[in-house]
Amino acid sequence: MNGRLIASWSVVALCGIYFLAPLIATFEFSLRLLRGHYSFEAYRLVFASGDFQSAFLFSAIIGVVTIIVGALIVTPTAYWVQLRLPALRGIVEYITLLPLVVPAIVLVFGYIKLYGSNSILPLTATPFGSDILLMLGYVALGLPYLYRAIDAGMRSIDVKTLSEAAQIQGAGFPTILFRIIIPNIRSSILSGAFLTFAIVIGEFTLASLLDRPAFGPYLQLVGASRAYEPAALAVVAFLITWGCMGIIQWLGNSGSNFSAKR
Amino acid sequence: MLDVTADPVRRPPPARKIAAWAGVAPFFLFAAMFLIVPTFSLMVGAFQNRDGEFTFDNILRLTQPSILHSYALSLEVSAASAFFGALIGFALAAAVIFGGLPRWMRPVLMTFSGVASNFAGVPLAFAFVATLGRMGLVTLLLRNVFDFNLYTSGFNLFTFTGLTLTYLYFQIPLMALVIAPALDGMKQEWREAAEILGASRWQYWRYIAWPILGPSCFGASLLLFANAFGAIATAYSLTGPSLNIVPILLFAQIRGDVLHDPNLGFALAFGMLLITGVSNFAYLALRARSEKWMR
Amino acid sequence: MSKVALLSSVAALAAGALLSSATLSRADDMAALVDAAKKEGQLTVIALPHDWCDYGDLISSFKAKYGLTINELNPDGGSGDEVEAIKANKDNKGPQAPDVIDVGLGFGPSAKADKLIQPYKVATWASIPDDAKDADGYWYGDYYGVLAFAVNTDVVKNAPADWSDLAKPEYKGAFAVVGDPRTANQAAMAVYASGMAGGGDAVGIAKKGLEFFASLNKSGNFVPVTGGAATIAQGTTPIVAMWDYNAMAARDNLKGNPKIDVVVPKSGVVAGVYVQAISAYAPHPAAAKLWMEHLYSDEGQIGWLKGYCHPIRFNDLAAKGKVPADLLAKLPPAADYAQAKFPSLADQKAAKETIAKDWDSTVGATVAK
Repeated sequence: MNGRLIASWSVVALCGIYFLAPLIATFEFSLRLLRGHYSFEAYRLVFASGDFQSAFLFSAIIGVVTIIVGALIVTPTAYWVQLRLPALRGIVEYITLLPLVVPAIVLVFGYIKLYGSNSILPLTATPFGSDILLMLGYVALGLPYLYRAIDAGMRSIDVKTLSEAAQIQGAGFPTILFRIIIPNIRSSILSGAFLTFAIVIGEFTLASLLDRPAFGPYLQLVGASRAYEPAALAVVAFLITWGCMGIIQWLGNSGSNFSAKR
Repeated sequence: MLDVTADPVRRPPPARKIAAWAGVAPFFLFAAMFLIVPTFSLMVGAFQNRDGEFTFDNILRLTQPSILHSYALSLEVSAASAFFGALIGFALAAAVIFGGLPRWMRPVLMTFSGVASNFAGVPLAFAFVATLGRMGLVTLLLRNVFDFNLYTSGFNLFTFTGLTLTYLYFQIPLMALVIAPALDGMKQEWREAAEILGASRWQYWRYIAWPILGPSCFGASLLLFANAFGAIATAYSLTGPSLNIVPILLFAQIRGDVLHDPNLGFALAFGMLLITGVSNFAYLALRARSEKWMR
Repeated sequence: MSKVALLSSVAALAAGALLSSATLSRADDMAALVDAAKKEGQLTVIALPHDWCDYGDLISSFKAKYGLTINELNPDGGSGDEVEAIKANKDNKGPQAPDVIDVGLGFGPSAKADKLIQPYKVATWASIPDDAKDADGYWYGDYYGVLAFAVNTDVVKNAPADWSDLAKPEYKGAFAVVGDPRTANQAAMAVYASGMAGGGDAVGIAKKGLEFFASLNKSGNFVPVTGGAATIAQGTTPIVAMWDYNAMAARDNLKGNPKIDVVVPKSGVVAGVYVQAISAYAPHPAAAKLWMEHLYSDEGQIGWLKGYCHPIRFNDLAAKGKVPADLLAKLPPAADYAQAKFPSLADQKAAKETIAKDWDSTVGATVAK
């Protein structure tokens, strides 16, 4: 099986070089703010403005809520479509592709028109309502990734047999969903969670036009007329987001005591 | 045995179908309220002129050669980055899950992929400029250490190839993340059982692994395709003036400060929705065929 | 008292009362405006980057002076974004609805035609040049700048002095514009400026500009990347054509690392005017008007000058000696601006259409694989 090891190490090594080189280049550039020698001056400037923490925290919290709401909407859908309504597969998948091709600005203007302060559901009239609207917008943006990941995972487990076995034992739908299905597609939900979280942290258009103090708009304010600070910010954002993913991964792992795969 | 789709003999009684419909209702309600209706409340502009009157003018203007050309270009970039992204992403996920690598590599890779999948736009464009641009780190390294001039050998970051290469930065991780759960479901026991029964490696993949993974692979590729199709920020920063893809045209009409014909912009977006629909349809047809094959 | 005397004294009294009430009402108006604005409590602006004409300081000075909250939407937005935002927010009175916009010259009349803006004449209305404002008060010029080259002198030893210099072989792979000429004003005007040396009408100039860029693209001097402070500093695009105020802001922010030279081209000096307007659907109209008063006051105009933008009332202020000498010293010499051409509305429209339509076929056609 040595051939297999060589192949996998080569793939990982090549990909590693491809993914790390641009990050290293950005990092190297961010160290060049002071003429002649490397320094962390750009990072000091970035952290000097106090808004970094509050903006990041805001986005992180919204990100977590988005993941939960998104998973709750997508999982039953993927389940029922696979089990009983395969004819709906086409339309459901098309809907989940829409957020990729509809420009975010069209979406946010649509929200403002439909849920503006003079409408039936005036979500934009209060900060909390705007936060809810923003979160639901993010669920929409994360839908393609969340659905595809959860659907791929569900296809690999025998949903039908698991459900029937559980039903024979008298389990109702919520039990099936929360205690049988979800633990088995843990890695799918985690994948979807990572993708969604990254989107929420970096997203700019929705947050800015709904006037919410998120991380994306904060990044944009650092400015187009600067060179080193945006590079430093990109590196910091990358690292911190990666850290958050690690936390999500750890939380996801510790919650499992039922592992069906190796 | 492994066929988990509909049972041809029994039909579920109506009551259970109702439960299923109730189960998918939240999704459709959400999609209607926060995706479809908001989008279409603006997209009606595709069928209106400046004064709000109904017209097919904008749609007809989509058939201009320059616009058709840009749709073609968009399709090419999306297909290229989806194809290579899917291939390499699959290889990466397979390497980490089945490749006998240390166990800690998987969570590291998956979390990294999560971040990288959304590393796009201006930061990504700048990162690649700083790496492979004329004064990029790797370019200079190759020149100074290996005496190899990247640019005279024909490479240029600011071209179709360069853009596709840059797109792979978020396409590959996306594929890895989406296909990993499917790979997880490939139980070790199946492979062992197949081996015991005398199946060759190829037979295992063709008759056991592919029927399970195939549909998910196609679905993931379609996701990558649509992902690239709608991407604009990276392209705008890296090769904006020279590659005429549809999202940039859209941007120019709705958001820019030179032209301002939002109705044409919405028509362009409408065209993109149509193309996505056609791709989805093609994918479903392909997938149905492959599933029938495998029965 | 005779009838005449009585009548004339009444008239004099009346005139006197009218006159003093006129001066009183000016100050009253302002006080009433400030009160109304404070009651509204907030102002929503859009597409105002802090480094653009030093808007950052203008915004903080406004906040400090009147204590209003300012909602800043979409700092990277283009003029199209701003207009679309007004349209989308017609029925929305929340903080997502922009109160004021700062858009390219061409967008003023079109927003007026679409009934998206409301008229307002600031206290200093008379000192705004006539050709930079709408007679009915719907839109009014705020500042201008000329297209210049920002040159990284660490990488490029000989800065180009004019557009034609850019074609020299020493500048291979060195020149970029900010954005896409079909989308971004700065980029479109760069194409226009490069064709101006030949003279002619707007469309002719635009076509010459396109041909020039086509030759730059062919010879490899033009890099299609979106240029900015980062790409200049990194060395990939050591020469970028941008508004002089943006070039100078970049020069300042880079703090000498690398050293940036801001060069106004010898010929082909194009000036671009931006205009302010108040949204017809503004949720905070009093705050919006107060903002305008702030921007067009001497203090506000000098604030723009700090960001290297020439405020629209520059000539008026200079005549009154209100421009601080140290600020004047920081700007490029006035002689550079002597040749600046301000394309008219019609010219701009024609040029932009030509550039946007023909860019692909003339310049971007060779898509190298």
